[in-house]
Amino acid sequence: MATETHCPYCSLQCGMRLAAATGSTQDPLPARTALEVREWPEFPVNKGALCRKGWTSTGLHRHRERLTQPLVRSAATGELEPTSWESALDHIASRLVALRDEHGPDSIGVFGGGGLTNEKAYQLGKFARVALGTSQIDYNGRWCMSSAASAGTRALGLDRGLPFPLADIEHTDVVVLVGSNLAETMPPAARHLAALRARGGQVVVIDPRRTPTADQADVFVQPVPGTDLALAQAVLHQVIADGNVDDDFVAARTSGFAAVQESVVSWWPERAERVTGVPAREIRALAALLGSAERAMVLTARGAEQHASGSDIVLGWINVALALGMCGREYAGYGCLTGQGNGQGGREHGQKADQLPGYRMIDDPAARAHVAGVWGVAPESLPGKGRSAYEMLSSLGEPEGVKALLVFGSNIVVSAPNASFVSSQLDALSLLVVADIVMSETAARADVVLPVTQWAEETGTMTNLEGRVILRQQAITPPKGVVSDLGILRGLATRLSSPIEFGDDPEEVFVELGRASAGGRADYAGITYQRIREEEGVFWPCPSADHPGTPRMFLSSFGHPDGRARFHAVEHRGAVEQPDDDHPVHLTTGRVLAQYQSGAQTRRVRDLPDDGPFVEIHPMLAGRLSIDDGEVLRLTTRRGAMTAPARVVDTIRPDTVFVPFHWVGANLLTNDALDPASRMPEFKACAVAVTPARSRSGVSE
Amino acid sequence: MSRERLVVVGNGMAATRLVETLIARRYGGHITVIGEEPVPAYNRILLSAVLEGTHRVEALTMRDAEWFASVGVDLRLGSRVLQVSRERSDVMLVDGTTIPFDRLVMATGSIPTLPPIRGLVQVNGQLHPKVHAFRSLADCSRLLAELTPGRRAVVVGGGLLGLQVARALGVRGVATEIVEGSEHLLSSRIDERGGSILKRGLKKLGTDVYTGARAVRLSDDGLRLDNGYTLETDLVILTAGGRPSTALARQAGLFVRRGVVVDAHLASITDPRVHAIGDCAEFAGRVTGFVPPAWEQAVVLADRLCGGEATYSGSRSVARLRASDLEVAVLGDPEHTEGEVVEVTNPIAGTHRKLVVQGGVIVAAALVGDLARVGLITQLHDRRTVLGPHEPGELLMAERPSSAESAELPDDAEVCACAGVSAGRVRACRTLDEVRGSTRATTGCGGCAAVVAQLLSTTRGQALRHEVTGADAREGNGVPSALNG
Repeated sequence: MATETHCPYCSLQCGMRLAAATGSTQDPLPARTALEVREWPEFPVNKGALCRKGWTSTGLHRHRERLTQPLVRSAATGELEPTSWESALDHIASRLVALRDEHGPDSIGVFGGGGLTNEKAYQLGKFARVALGTSQIDYNGRWCMSSAASAGTRALGLDRGLPFPLADIEHTDVVVLVGSNLAETMPPAARHLAALRARGGQVVVIDPRRTPTADQADVFVQPVPGTDLALAQAVLHQVIADGNVDDDFVAARTSGFAAVQESVVSWWPERAERVTGVPAREIRALAALLGSAERAMVLTARGAEQHASGSDIVLGWINVALALGMCGREYAGYGCLTGQGNGQGGREHGQKADQLPGYRMIDDPAARAHVAGVWGVAPESLPGKGRSAYEMLSSLGEPEGVKALLVFGSNIVVSAPNASFVSSQLDALSLLVVADIVMSETAARADVVLPVTQWAEETGTMTNLEGRVILRQQAITPPKGVVSDLGILRGLATRLSSPIEFGDDPEEVFVELGRASAGGRADYAGITYQRIREEEGVFWPCPSADHPGTPRMFLSSFGHPDGRARFHAVEHRGAVEQPDDDHPVHLTTGRVLAQYQSGAQTRRVRDLPDDGPFVEIHPMLAGRLSIDDGEVLRLTTRRGAMTAPARVVDTIRPDTVFVPFHWVGANLLTNDALDPASRMPEFKACAVAVTPARSRSGVSE
Repeated sequence: MSRERLVVVGNGMAATRLVETLIARRYGGHITVIGEEPVPAYNRILLSAVLEGTHRVEALTMRDAEWFASVGVDLRLGSRVLQVSRERSDVMLVDGTTIPFDRLVMATGSIPTLPPIRGLVQVNGQLHPKVHAFRSLADCSRLLAELTPGRRAVVVGGGLLGLQVARALGVRGVATEIVEGSEHLLSSRIDERGGSILKRGLKKLGTDVYTGARAVRLSDDGLRLDNGYTLETDLVILTAGGRPSTALARQAGLFVRRGVVVDAHLASITDPRVHAIGDCAEFAGRVTGFVPPAWEQAVVLADRLCGGEATYSGSRSVARLRASDLEVAVLGDPEHTEGEVVEVTNPIAGTHRKLVVQGGVIVAAALVGDLARVGLITQLHDRRTVLGPHEPGELLMAERPSSAESAELPDDAEVCACAGVSAGRVRACRTLDEVRGSTRATTGCGGCAAVVAQLLSTTRGQALRHEVTGADAREGNGVPSALNG
């Protein structure tokens, strides 16, 4: 007997089965049982395929680094020392109450994550607003796909990463991947590309690196980091020049095209060539390919989104899809390939500074009244909009800033941009509480560390990149001494004299989430655990028990009140930090196949290779700097420095280096310039000096 | 103080960018734009693409009249300025209207020069009916109307515009010839070898080129050249250069050499209230004739008009030919810039690439026939990247994408990243099913399927010869390994 569940990592949420290697059939299995991953071939997203992260995902069970006791930093020794749950929670609550009394509720911040289940994300938002009374809650999804969320909301009226099932890719004609390396970051997704190509469709990959995804593409375009919008503008320019705009669609289902048309008249391909480094001929060919396609999809990922102009970049690509008449049609349109496991659901249920459950805006009086009604509190008692993730971290320890921070499901020290600044901000806190399964780099800096249950030890829903709500089911009993995040919130709420109770049963929380989301954009009211089990997940919106869910959105109407999609005239701004004499090379960051996010989980899985960070560098640049393959390099930006060995590869632009971000290092370098709309930092482009580590002066000869 | 009155003479690309930037920056003054052409501002440099049929004429408009109205700019289309009076601080239109200004921007562009060819101009002062200029949308429309199949055309001038027009006519099925007075095409920008490669390229595309030949007379027989030939033709298109349009500025007493001479504030050195940008301006002894410098000037001037401190220090120019099947890019001025020259010319393949390098920096370049690396070379040029001694040469070498021949993959090379499977472990299997079952290779992203198939085919029948290597045993990825093959 095996438990049907989903992989603990990325937004694909591949279906898998967990069973006891011993053949035991207890439900749940005893805590020390050796778990085994098996195929779940019927689940449509991955059809049984998994990457090595999925196959080895049970490696964190029975792990020697697993935390099983609360730890509190001793005033006497400065060390984290074991304590009981009672005393740990009492300690946290008394500190929080004291800070709240002295500095007000906004002196307490809550930092969530896109890996938390819907139930946890929902409960965390409610806990912040009701039990703590603080407006200061946000999450690491700001650093993931927030630019796409912002753009999707503005252009299409509603943000659901993919407005269609992933498998629809197989039935389109051309798919354009802007800044996605899905063959490495979510490998089973690439099977849909292969199926599309087998049907005669074409795959276009746009990336500064010729990635394994690009190796599977028919067309590969390699722009300068940070110039994706100029490329989009030029493609649209040429689509218009070629007469390939779908005029009927534009007239019937959109607004604002005239201003966009004027804004791209000045982006003829040769001009864009100078900005993007992409030959004009390739731009024309791409526009012609799109213009002649019956159906086309444009899918963005972090490469397009993680910029200080990320939401404009996405809007630029949505403009292309709209002008071609692709949105709101079957097997075509725009979508975002969300990154984190619950990057989609995590942004819908109130752990965002400006939102309440159901993708409602916190400054909307009707939304406040509805949600307050479900919670049984007065609408006016709910705080307003708080700071976004990076702005909250910047405020830590400042006079008007956050003085105590509770962190759930995030490893800020590794994943925040400009990380040395962020680390020093964390150290300025009066109280840092981190709930995690292992001693992450962030937990190691905490005053209190709370050991929590992990995947397969608890039940909860996730919403994958398609907007499909799926159920991760408990397979095994958690080790003694750990408590679920929901249990922690319940324990703290009681101690904080919360006006309402917080339950810790996931299914009960989900039922309440359904009611809180009812009538909102992301309406889960008709979804139940039972339906998820029976229907291979349910796509939101699903407003009632008899509603089938919504696999494909926008087919008759977009999300704006007038039902139309909106073009947005945007202008290319480029990376905030451009190379100069002192920092002459572009730096971009990203992921490798065997690791996930900050690596807190995957770096500890014995069967996943962990060779540490590296620097991809082109042979021409390596030759200029007299660098050999494997030689240790020093990378320096205006914010920090790191060293890592060189990997000399001809798959990267000669004017760019790449560093993966799963280890402490890359984000010491990255730029904290924020997108004005999404508050996304500029992870994907900054200026760097590259020198052999052997010359310590920082000057290359 | 009342709002500053800003008058912009001209409604071309420089003027449009200036007004757009002023609006975006919330300029506080009142703007009047006077455009001589009756149509809204359009993208002039795409006219040859319209002629070629690769750009729809309706999609040339940069800003229509409604936009100007919506942002509160007084747009006067089809209006010509007769006179600028600096004493009275006003401009007078041909209809007698006067418009006062506090600041004036000359963005009058350039006008085509008429080559000294007898018969171009008729007794009545009009151009000969066969003769066309190619500067404005009206010129383009008039020429398009003449392009019936079977007609013949001569393009006078072998510069960028001449080549674009010639290619456009060629694509339209018009038998076209080019007459260029100097010894080779694009003579002001590229060297003789590059020019002759271009000439051969055009010949292959069906366009004959007469270099070192001047047209001297247009008659009913055709266009006579100074080498004695007479080219029978239905159309003569003049593309042989233009000159800054400076008549108004001269008349207003502003200092003019080739263009209106401006300082780093883009103000006339005669009168700081009067500015000039774009083709009509001369900065540091240069007039440019390209859009990017004109736009850089417009942005600098807009900043200053909004109270900023920006200054203009010149522009790096990149000239790109926009025509089907002709690949030319010229960065800076390769024929007149000091530096070490690194070049590769392959007349057989029809390519010519030349980099001028100073202190490791590409200061100028000419690329003909092969633009595979144009994006990167332009980046390095524009950013003044200091290159190593071998890089200029490497930039001109053909790119050879690394394609690993799977038969030669060492046994410890990873072929399936999803499952972490080496070539050796695949070789140890006999069938794809066995690979899938025992290693899980090809079951993740599927990207290794081709390599795995090839590995299997090269090892099939000799599978047993391959011993399982140590690399397999080291790979503890939690997957049952194929030790028993």
